[in-house]
Amino acid sequence: MFKDLLRLELFPTMWCPGCGIGTLMSQVTMVMDELGLDHTNSAVISGIGCTGRMAGYMNLDSVYTLHGRTLPVAEAVKMVQPDLKVIVISGDGDLTSIGGNHLLHTARRNANLTVLCNTNEVYGLTGGHAGPTTPKGAKTISTPEGAAYEPLNLQNLLKGGSTYFYARTTVYHQFHLRRCVKEALAWPGFSFVDITSQCIENYGRRLGFKTGYEMLAWFREKYKMAPDGAESLGPFELGIVRKGQTETKDA
Amino acid sequence: MLVQGNQAVFLGAVKAGATFFAGYPISPSSEILVLAAEHAARNSVFKLIQSEDEIGAVNAIMGASLAGAKSFTATSGPGFSLMQEAVGYGHQVEIPTVIVDVQRVGPATGMPTMPAQQDLLQAMHGSSGDYYPLVFYPNSVEECYRYTILAFNAAEESLSPVILLSDAFLGHLIETVDLEAIPVLYPPGIVWHEHNLDLDLVVPGGMAPLEIVSRQRPPLGTGQRAFTGLTHDWRGQQRTADAGVYREWLAGVKKRHQEIAGNYRFYEYIDHPTSDTLLIAFGIVSRVVRPLASRFAIFRPISMAPLLADELREYGRRFKNVVVVEANDGQYAQLVEWALRREVRRVPLLGGRMNIPLIEAELGRMGIGEGLSV
Repeated sequence: MFKDLLRLELFPTMWCPGCGIGTLMSQVTMVMDELGLDHTNSAVISGIGCTGRMAGYMNLDSVYTLHGRTLPVAEAVKMVQPDLKVIVISGDGDLTSIGGNHLLHTARRNANLTVLCNTNEVYGLTGGHAGPTTPKGAKTISTPEGAAYEPLNLQNLLKGGSTYFYARTTVYHQFHLRRCVKEALAWPGFSFVDITSQCIENYGRRLGFKTGYEMLAWFREKYKMAPDGAESLGPFELGIVRKGQTETKDA
Repeated sequence: MLVQGNQAVFLGAVKAGATFFAGYPISPSSEILVLAAEHAARNSVFKLIQSEDEIGAVNAIMGASLAGAKSFTATSGPGFSLMQEAVGYGHQVEIPTVIVDVQRVGPATGMPTMPAQQDLLQAMHGSSGDYYPLVFYPNSVEECYRYTILAFNAAEESLSPVILLSDAFLGHLIETVDLEAIPVLYPPGIVWHEHNLDLDLVVPGGMAPLEIVSRQRPPLGTGQRAFTGLTHDWRGQQRTADAGVYREWLAGVKKRHQEIAGNYRFYEYIDHPTSDTLLIAFGIVSRVVRPLASRFAIFRPISMAPLLADELREYGRRFKNVVVVEANDGQYAQLVEWALRREVRRVPLLGGRMNIPLIEAELGRMGIGEGLSV
């Protein structure tokens, strides 16, 4: 049972009602359960932020690292314990902003890690500040006039290397989400799953959404599957792009 | 054989059982990264990451330690500053690892190839929050080897990142030393009253070898534990607004560190029958002042933190003058003043320059040691 992977005694979680992280956690644990990943063969490394707290709710060895430092910790763990499945779960602020340099270089070194990035486009835990993935024009508490800059293009960033795995999905598209996570876990190198999710309390409300469900409905409407075999995902396209493989340093 | 200080640190680490190194090139510590790379190329058990920055390096050694490896990194002042957040993390999560800081003149980029002892307080209090670090500072190539091994032992026992201080002179110092002849480990609590007076680095006799302290905690992937930098209870469950849990945890860690530190109180005292002056010096500066032992008593702390307050009081009270000679602007002197509850004299050796005439001139200006000659 996937519930065996959760510390149900700690429920209810600290996440706000309507948050997408709970969905992400249930889907990820379902995939792990299906693949037979548990405390005997896996470890979860997470960073600071709402998403990072997921590690503490999972019933296996987990490390809640410093802000932005998931990847150096995870890469070292994988080097020392090559047989361990090392899963990094963190938010977009943690992974791409304060941890951006590590993302660049851990991807370049093709460390054999699966990174699940909860992209809610905002610093939720601190109250809703804009981050590097916040769309231009979005109003947040730190961008009252709307975010001034274009967001980071994670796909293009990660496709810079000779080998890469980048998947984009949302917490609304749960079958697709599970498929992306499963394929990322099977990828023998650095894999990155960009999972759009909703932060209703500290982001969505300021954009005019009234409930978490409204945000999910917006994901359903806005996001479309990329055509089969697409080498690149267009804006709001869901799918997996990958190339190369596979020579990992710890294989 | 001829061994360099940085090389001795690396050899000591390997002797202590280190199997993981992460680092970023920075003078004057870079030799350690190069040696680690060569070692990793020849030994598949030894893992290496040349990190993208010192923040990556220090977090990598934290992860490697949790995964079961004895790990270490080496850096210098600016890199050490970048590592400070993770030092606190290591204390909160209770991660044994070793950080070597080969000091150079700062602040900032400063004088990258010149020696200093300016990271002393940073090594003690550089991270946020209250924590109780163990810090060692050897003064010879042979000691670099010994105290690296001891630093690893202290890390395993205290479950914390232990800091080994070095400096640009010591790191690049090349001495004749037979590391094979050194008992693998050094017994804790030893005091040398009559340390080797020459520089031929004779190993003091009568030392029983000490077992290397091995890892106690099972590695990641074998349990259902939550390692967190948040305040947590014994289960690893986050308790971020509970003063009782925090106080109990901090008191426990403090007690453990004080007990462990009690086994790692290293210093050297060289008595002088008639002098009214005690010189206090450590690290490379203690080598520079060594010839002055014919005129003054000398106290050399090797364990820099926790402060050797009892020993400082014990020896300090015997002398009219206490002079701290150090390659910074009085960082240790202020701690000695606190320990002795009285004013001490300072001879700051700044900008990487340190020699006997400079020190004698300063002492002369204070009216200390006049009429005596070396």
